[in-house]
Amino acid sequence: MNSKINIRDAAGLLARLAVGGVFVYAGAIKLLAPAEEFAYAIETYKVTGPALSLWAAYIMPWLELFTGLLLAAGIFTRFNAALCGVLLLFFEALLGQAWLRGLPVTSCGCFGSGSSNSIGYEFAQNLVFLALTYLAYRRGGLFSADAALGDKA
Amino acid sequence: MINKKTARLAVLGGLLMFIAATAILLARQFNVGPARPAPGFRTFGPAGAVVKIEAYSDYACGACRAAEGKLEEMLKVYPGGIRLTLKHYPLTNIHPWSLDAAAYADCAGEQGKFKDYAARLFEGQEKWGEAKVRPAEFEAYARELKLDWAQIQSCAASTQTRQRIKLETAEADLKGVNATPTFFINGKRAVGPGQLLERIRKLDKLLENRNKPSGECPEK
Repeated sequence: MNSKINIRDAAGLLARLAVGGVFVYAGAIKLLAPAEEFAYAIETYKVTGPALSLWAAYIMPWLELFTGLLLAAGIFTRFNAALCGVLLLFFEALLGQAWLRGLPVTSCGCFGSGSSNSIGYEFAQNLVFLALTYLAYRRGGLFSADAALGDKA
Repeated sequence: MINKKTARLAVLGGLLMFIAATAILLARQFNVGPARPAPGFRTFGPAGAVVKIEAYSDYACGACRAAEGKLEEMLKVYPGGIRLTLKHYPLTNIHPWSLDAAAYADCAGEQGKFKDYAARLFEGQEKWGEAKVRPAEFEAYARELKLDWAQIQSCAASTQTRQRIKLETAEADLKGVNATPTFFINGKRAVGPGQLLERIRKLDKLLENRNKPSGECPEK
């Protein structure tokens, strides 16, 4: 067994922990606040009505929490990294359309509905997370449960 | 057939998800708080109404102004079916004069003009909401309504008034409120005018059956 840690694998591990951690935080902070507040933030994107926004607000934080947790732990790493990537692309599409339409989104709802940066800032931040997710997808196997159990999934 | 390694990973993942979900659900239990009574001038509709709405709002918030119009309409459409209690939740981190506005509205209420003063605050929120210096509008509204401004000032500065608003804010915090307007409709939460209308629409039948000011309705 090679005891030296490859720099790319180390970067992949850090990326995996960073993206997983961000998703866990984003999910948990929304779950600890009432779903209606996050739903109200979703409504401001003018893509869904109040009823659908509320359903999204019930489901999305759990999805973020579980995906982030599994990614950070390295369980089904590639699948969860891909899922994080898809979610980030979806968030980018929502932010992008709001940006283009000039919608008055005062709270993006990314990390709870209490506070928020500008849409442009959140868009750029998500691009960084996307790059890290790609790294986690490609090289996120180090110290993962997948590797520990002998499955490089 | 699922191989052993995948099954082990699935069990491990399931265990982690279970622990996380339990932790979150336990933490959420701390968001429940008791309700405090609001002054009579902020309560509208019969005590026996079938739908009870508790509204937390901020006079400098645009969505609260929109919701206020909807609430007014609802009270007119269902005069005997809704009991509305207005509560203050000034977002002082973004609206520097909201706490003062809430205090002045309460003090106008003690002179019998809460609703009129509150309506003016909402109408003029763009003028005073983010003012750098103390807005002149507060006094102007009081004078328009022929209120005793000196008395309002002393009442608004009193510990009793400030404490009442702060306790209402704390009550809202305990309930997990951190956006305005937030409503509790028969105990169920709604945030923003859209969700308010959605919830009331669901209670439409109940309201129509009980929509008598006397509150005398046949039990089903």
